[in-house]
Amino acid sequence: MENKTKEFKHLEKWQKTLANCIRCGYCYEHCPMFKYTGWESDAPRAKIITAFGLLSGEVEPSESVSQKMFSCFYCKRCEAACSSGVALTDIFTDAKKDLVEMDLKGPGTTSTTKLTCARCLICLKACPHEARSYDGKNIVVDPVKCQACGICIEVCPAGAATIQNSFGTDRNMLMDRASNFFSTHEAAKAIIFACNWSYYPDLQASVLPDAETRDKNYEILVNMCGGRLEPQLLMAPFLYNAWGVMAAVCPEDKCDHKGNVRAKKTIESLKNTFKSIDIDPERVRLVEIKAGDKAKFKAEIDTFMDNLNKMGPIR
Amino acid sequence: MKTIDEEKLRQIVGDANIKTDPSDLYIYGSDSSVHHAMPWAVVRPKTTEQVQAVMRYANENLIPVIARGGGSGMCGQTVPVRGGIILDMKGMNKILEINLKDVYCRVEPGVVDDDLNLALKPHGMFFPPTPASSRIATIGGEIANNASGVRSVKYGATRDAVLGMKVVLPNGDLVNLGARTRVEASGYQLHKLMVGSEGTLGIVVEATLSFVPIPEFRCMGIANFNTLKDAGEAIGSIMASGAIPSMLELVDDVAIKAVNKTMNLGLKEVAAALIFEADGMVREAVDYEINKMKAICQKHNGEDIYASYDPKERDKIFLGRKSLFPALSKYDDNLASTALADDMAVPYSKMAEMAGKIHEIADKYGIVMTAYGHCGSGCMHTKILMDTKRKDQWESARKAITEVYDYVRSVNGTTSAEHGIGLSKAESFKIEKADSLHLLALIKKAVDPNNILNPGKLSQAPEDWVTATNLRYSVNS
Ligand SMILES: Cc1cc2nc3c(=O)[nH]c(=O)nc-3n(C[C@H](O)[C@H](O)[C@H](O)COP(=O)(O)OP(=O)(O)OC[C@H]3O[C@@H](n4cnc5c(N)ncnc54)[C@H](O)[C@@H]3O)c2cc1C
Ligand code: SF4
Ligand code: SF4
Ligand code: SF4
Repeated sequence: MENKTKEFKHLEKWQKTLANCIRCGYCYEHCPMFKYTGWESDAPRAKIITAFGLLSGEVEPSESVSQKMFSCFYCKRCEAACSSGVALTDIFTDAKKDLVEMDLKGPGTTSTTKLTCARCLICLKACPHEARSYDGKNIVVDPVKCQACGICIEVCPAGAATIQNSFGTDRNMLMDRASNFFSTHEAAKAIIFACNWSYYPDLQASVLPDAETRDKNYEILVNMCGGRLEPQLLMAPFLYNAWGVMAAVCPEDKCDHKGNVRAKKTIESLKNTFKSIDIDPERVRLVEIKAGDKAKFKAEIDTFMDNLNKMGPIR
Repeated sequence: MKTIDEEKLRQIVGDANIKTDPSDLYIYGSDSSVHHAMPWAVVRPKTTEQVQAVMRYANENLIPVIARGGGSGMCGQTVPVRGGIILDMKGMNKILEINLKDVYCRVEPGVVDDDLNLALKPHGMFFPPTPASSRIATIGGEIANNASGVRSVKYGATRDAVLGMKVVLPNGDLVNLGARTRVEASGYQLHKLMVGSEGTLGIVVEATLSFVPIPEFRCMGIANFNTLKDAGEAIGSIMASGAIPSMLELVDDVAIKAVNKTMNLGLKEVAAALIFEADGMVREAVDYEINKMKAICQKHNGEDIYASYDPKERDKIFLGRKSLFPALSKYDDNLASTALADDMAVPYSKMAEMAGKIHEIADKYGIVMTAYGHCGSGCMHTKILMDTKRKDQWESARKAITEVYDYVRSVNGTTSAEHGIGLSKAESFKIEKADSLHLLALIKKAVDPNNILNPGKLSQAPEDWVTATNLRYSVNS
C-alpha cells in the first residue's frame, strides 16, 4: 500500500517506530482501559495499530478513531511493559494533535465543564498540565495537553468538571466497589487505593472462582492518580465498618501529575481528624511505591494488615 | 463483502458485546504476525450458549468464524483472510475450579496464562507450558496453538497438560472431549486433536488442565562457547546424557551483540552461550543435574561456566535472553524485527548446523537473522530484521525463508515447534506433511463440512505468504 502521510504532520515522524512495534500486545497487560472494558480496541496496542492505519491511509480519521486516541490516562503502564521500547504516549499525543487539527477532538477521558461551572477558576490552578484556561466566558480544556489525571474533577466545588468516560475510576464507581466488597466478603477489613503506576499485584483480565476470593480481607481499587484521593472517597469504606484504608502513590518526584503531594496533604489532615476523635491515625496510611515494585507493594499491604489486626475493628 | 445480520448477532450477545465500526474492525484484523485483513464483525460471547447460537447462525449462513484469544499469534492464525466474524473469547475469562484433591483445574478459554499461574501460586502449584507471551496469551489460544515455552523441555507443551475440554462444533453442538483423569486409554484422543488445530475444528469453551508443584529449588547456569559447533554438541550431549534440564536455551553472537549494542549489558561477545537450569524439591538432586550439565559444557570447550540458586543472580544470567526482543527491535532504526520463519525444530544433533545455516542464508540475502531458542526441546527461534519499506527486502525474506525451511526438512526437522502455522508457514508445512494432507482435509470436512471455522489457514492457506493478505507494514512500490 502507498504511504499517505501528508495530513499527519505530527504523527508522521513515528513511521519507523510504528513498524518497529512487534505487535506483541505486552502493552495491554494492565492498561486500565482494557481492564475495564475488556475490548482489545481499547488497549494501547490498538492505538498503535490505529496510528499506523491513519498513516498508511487504511484507517479513515473519524469520531470513533479520535475517541480511541483521546482515551488515555497517561499512566504509562504500557510503556513500562512494552517489549520494544515504543514511546506509546508520545505517539498518542502527536496523533491527538493531528486529529484536533482535523476538528476531530475526541472527548475521551478528558474533563469538560458543564453549564454548572461557577467560573471560580480553581481547576485552572489545580491542573498540573496547564490544560485549562479561561477565555473570559468559559473554561476551555486543551484536549492534547490534558492527561486525564482527574484532579480538576475532584477539586471542582460545583461538580462541573467531568470526565466523559472514567473507565471505572471515578469517585462514585470506586465507592460502589468498596461497598460491594464489604457486603460480599465476611472477612473484609480494608480498602487499598492504588494509583495505576504502583503496579498492583492483581490479575489482568481473568476472574477467580468464589472459593479463592471468599476469605479476602482487603480489596485493591485503582483510582488512577493519588491526586484524586479526596476525604469523601477515603472515608467511604469506614461507612461499612472498615478497619482501615491505605493509599499507594508514586515516590516524591515521580508523579507526573504531582498527585502524590496532594494525597499526602489529604491523608495528613485525615490522620489529624482521627487523632482528634481518639481513633488510631495509623488506620489511614499512605505509602510510596516505585513503579513496578510489586514486592514492596505487597510487603506494605502485609504490614498494614498486620497492624490493623493488632488494632482490631473500630466498633 | 458478505452481509451479516448484525441484529441477529446483537440478539445473541447483547449490544454491549458486538463491534462493527471500521476503526474497531481494523484493530481486530491484525495479531502479532505480518498479516492484516478486515473482519466483518467482532462478537464477544460470555457463555457457551451464546457461542453455540453464533455458530448455528454462521453455519446456516456460511459465514467464517475466527476464534481469538489474546491475538498474540505470530503467523496470522486470527487474521480473517476470508472476512467473517471474530469471536473474541476474552469475554469468557473465569477460572471455574481449582481442584487440589484431583489435581486439575477447569477454566474458560479466555483466562490469561499468567492469571492462571497467579491463582495457582498460593497453592504451591503452576501450569507449566507458559509461552514467553504468557502475560497476554489465553488458554484457548495456547490450546489451539499447542503453545510451549522455556520449561517445556522438562514439563512438556500444552498438549501434555490438557486432560479434557468442552468444544462447540461448527454446527453449534457441544461436545465433551477427554476426561478428568490423568490417563485415558482408547478411542481417538479427540481433545488432543483440538490441540494445535488453530481454531479450524471447534471453539474451545472450557478446558480441564493438569498442574504441577512449584519446585523448592531452582538453579541456573551459563556457559560461553567460541564456536557454534561446540555449543551445539554440548546441547546434544546434555540431552543424550539423561540429564533433566528444566531449561536449556541457546543465544548466538548476533543476539549477544544486539543486546550489548542496545542495552549495554557488556556480555562477552562469544559465538554462542548456553543457559541451563535444573529444578526440584531436593537440593542434592538439583546439584546433581547442574553439575552434570556443567561438566558436559566443559567437555565441549565451554568457558566462564557458572551457576547460581540466588534469584538475583539467576535474573542476571537470564537478562541477556530476556532482553532479546527489545534489543532486536532497537537494533537498527531502519530495520524492523519481523515474526517470520521463527520457530522451527530440528534434531539435537543438528542445532549447531541449523544456527550456522541461518547465518549463512541471512548473509546471502542481505538481511539480519539471529539464532536462539529453547534448544532443549529442539526448538530454534530466529527473527528476520529487515527494512520493511523496501519491496526487495520482502523478496529476499521470501527466498531466505524458503531456504531455511528446505534445510529444516532435509534434516527431519519440523516447520513450527510452538508458534503454529497460520498463514506465514503454510508453504513449508504443506511440503512437510504432503503425504498426510488429505487426511487433514478429510478430518476438516467431517467436522466442518461448510468450512466456516478459520478458513484459509493451515493446510488451506495460500502457498505465498507475502501475498496471502495485506502486510501490516507500509511497503514502497
Ligand atoms: C512476543 C511473543 C512471544 C511468544 N512466545 C511464544 C512462546 O514462547 N511459545 C509459544 O508457544 N508461543 C509463543 N508466542 C505465540 C503465541 O503467543 C502463542 O501461541 C499463544 O498461545 C497464542 O495465544 P492467544 O490467546 O494470543 O491466541 P490468538 O493469537 O488469539 O489465537 C491463536 C489461535 O488460537 C485460536 N483460538 C483462540 N482461542 C480459541 C478457542 N477458545 N477455541 C478455539 N480456537 C481458539 C485462534 O483461532 C488462532 O488460530 C509468542 C508470541 C509473541 C507475540
Ligand atoms: S498510558 Fe495507561 S491508560 Fe494510556 S494506553 Fe498506556 S496503559 Fe492505557
Ligand atoms: S508492547 Fe510495544 S511492541 Fe508490543 S504491541 Fe505494545 S507497543 Fe507494540
Ligand atoms: S487537571 Fe488533569 S484531568 Fe483536569 S484538565 Fe488538567 S490534566 Fe486534564
